Amino acid sequence: MILAGGQGTRLGVLTDHVAKPAVPFGSRYRIIDFPLSNCTNSGIEAVGVLTQYQPLELNKYIGNGHSWDLDRNSGGTYILPPYQSIYGSDWYKGTANAIYQNISFIDRFSPKYVLVLSGDHVYKMDYSAMVRQHVQTEADGTIAVIEVPWEETSRFGIMNTDEDNRITEFEEKPKEAKNNLASMGVYCFSWQALRKYLILDEEKTGSDNDFGKNVIPMMLADQQRMYAYTFNGYWKDVGTVYSLWESNMDLLDKPEEINLNDDSWRIYSRNPIRPSHFVGPNAVMDRVAVTDGAEIYGTVIHSMLSHSVVIEEGATVKDSFLMPGVVVKQGSCLDRCIVGMNTIIGADMQVGPDVTDGTNYYENERVCTEGITVFEQNLIINDGAKINGNSMIYMPTANEGFNKIVVGLNERELAMEV
Amino acid sequence: MLINAMGLIVADHDQVHLGELTGPRALAAVPFAGRYRIIDFILSNMVNSGIKTVGVLAETKYRSLMDHLGTGASWDLDRMTQRLFILPPFINQSIMRGAQTSDLSGLLNYVENGNQKYVVISDSNVIMNERYEKLFEKHVESGAEITVLYNKDGARFGSPVISLELNKQGRVVDLLLDAPHLANDNNFLGLSIISRDLFITLLEAAIARGFNEFTQLTLLRMFPDLDIRGCEHDGFSLRINSVATYYSASMRLLESKVRNHLFRQERPVFTKVKNEAPAEFVTGCKASNLLSSDGCIIRGEVSNSVFFRGVDMGKHSVVKNSIIFQDVVIQDGVVLEHVIIDKDCVIRSGVELKGQPDYPVLIGKGSLV
Repeated sequence: MILAGGQGTRLGVLTDHVAKPAVPFGSRYRIIDFPLSNCTNSGIEAVGVLTQYQPLELNKYIGNGHSWDLDRNSGGTYILPPYQSIYGSDWYKGTANAIYQNISFIDRFSPKYVLVLSGDHVYKMDYSAMVRQHVQTEADGTIAVIEVPWEETSRFGIMNTDEDNRITEFEEKPKEAKNNLASMGVYCFSWQALRKYLILDEEKTGSDNDFGKNVIPMMLADQQRMYAYTFNGYWKDVGTVYSLWESNMDLLDKPEEINLNDDSWRIYSRNPIRPSHFVGPNAVMDRVAVTDGAEIYGTVIHSMLSHSVVIEEGATVKDSFLMPGVVVKQGSCLDRCIVGMNTIIGADMQVGPDVTDGTNYYENERVCTEGITVFEQNLIINDGAKINGNSMIYMPTANEGFNKIVVGLNERELAMEV
Repeated sequence: MLINAMGLIVADHDQVHLGELTGPRALAAVPFAGRYRIIDFILSNMVNSGIKTVGVLAETKYRSLMDHLGTGASWDLDRMTQRLFILPPFINQSIMRGAQTSDLSGLLNYVENGNQKYVVISDSNVIMNERYEKLFEKHVESGAEITVLYNKDGARFGSPVISLELNKQGRVVDLLLDAPHLANDNNFLGLSIISRDLFITLLEAAIARGFNEFTQLTLLRMFPDLDIRGCEHDGFSLRINSVATYYSASMRLLESKVRNHLFRQERPVFTKVKNEAPAEFVTGCKASNLLSSDGCIIRGEVSNSVFFRGVDMGKHSVVKNSIIFQDVVIQDGVVLEHVIIDKDCVIRSGVELKGQPDYPVLIGKGSLV
């Protein structure tokens, strides 16, 4: 069961129109490709995707699951939005409530074990190894954990364990951590145990119906057998603009950490119907990842380019992540940018942390940090604009002062993806 | 307009051979343009023209072709009723007793089982991105028995070329193969349309006479008895008749206007999905005029070249004017100029290979150089 309903507010304008799991990532992927590919590579053939916030793009992207080999005779991919019943209808109130509302869906498969996964993490993980440990330890719940630096423990949910990896205590964002094993938000449960605690949690008034806050502490308090499964490898929650940018840069800087060329653990995705990419006669390419349909005539340094991106001659793109269909016109210079799908960057623009004489977009609440600038999808940006780092550019409403920067909506359709 | 026709792709060509490129595979399965095979263009043209039943006539060396086509899902040809049919040589019991190795009854069976009015037949040696409406409309309008597509640029592409003598009504009145001095320069583009009923009659007659092979040339040679008319194609096309024309056609892909002709969003070219990682251009690489594909790792200096998926290019290597197929490993310090390197080859450190523009060096599949 992949939780894909969260809004992802910390990604700002990037998730105004798409759910976070559908946000493009790493040149030719969407974030949800990672958990979906992990499922198919781990031999899991029945996958439910719980959607709620802005699900249209995500639904269209997942389709029947064919791209991940998840269109099976028994099992397959199921999109699970909230629904109406004779008892009424309700939105998914929390992660646990989302699973609770789908108890009868899970019952139909009569599984012994259920994996609860996040749709917005970037990692390669063999869930079957985790399930194996879960079976061997006769656990009721197994929580995947990853070692984090001690100084960062206060940002995570920390698991305190005994020598057998049994979880003795769960501390949410502790000030003084006793351990540095952080929960990854990847859970394996024995279905009957989880089923019971989902119902108990639902009966409790005032519960947030959240796995981390409610269900897992309750199971621990009841002396259920809860174990930690230690994961070694690259794992990132791409929940913020900075972490989205950083994990894209990680792919360029440390490609061996999440080896995408690994034939034994492919990350599958929908493939755009576009020809090979083209590098023009005067292009400069230095640490660049690029995929189908891109055309590069300018200078690209340390950047991640998605399908159908065009970099015109004389343009420079540095330390940036451009989503599918982005056009950077001649003479423009982008530094530390994330540009949403299909946005056109006009000619002779300057954007980045070193631009100081440009326009600040700090006034409104939606700003970035670490000098990164984010552009919403489908914008047409005016020629010659100067934009300081930390800005977040989106389609202005009548009373906002972007009108000189954003001059229209790009209505061109992107290439088909299969 | 959707064409009420079934498709037939002739995967081999009895006159066109591309040296070691067609050694291990059918002509239709020869890789082209970084991530495609020649047949992708033909299949996509058919699908984009609304043809949903396509037979692929495979005579020999069809393993790689079948591997590529799979169920036809990549072209949306894996439907309940209308779908992709692969037609390998057909051997039945009566033939087992005789001298022949196969006959045309497999093809006949495919055509008989269709319920469309027409059959669009395509060879595998011309690359274009077109819908077949014009050919279809002209065929219906003229009332011809067969209508064939031609254009006037064949001579530049060398042999083999079939040129057509047409009368005032556009009817084929003569047929010349590789004519040294072309009087007319109407050169067949390997595409024709015929009514299904007539095609069945002709196939039945061919089987009765003991023919065991189908080519469009045999069909064209019936011009004295059949009303065969020409339809001129004014769009863009690339002919592939030899290794030299394969090489020059590939090099033309580096022109943006050629790519714009062949790759249009409104008429997408479909191919088998591979799920390779994005291509990587590392520090110190130099790339210009390069058409390259997913899964490539570029560490050296490359210009005027086409790289298929998964090419691993080492440091201090220099590649110019070359075509490198899928999963080739070019180790460090290699020099390549005017070469075509087939799939899965390894070019060891320090190797230098140089061909000429009109005579490229061709390294066969899986070689260790």
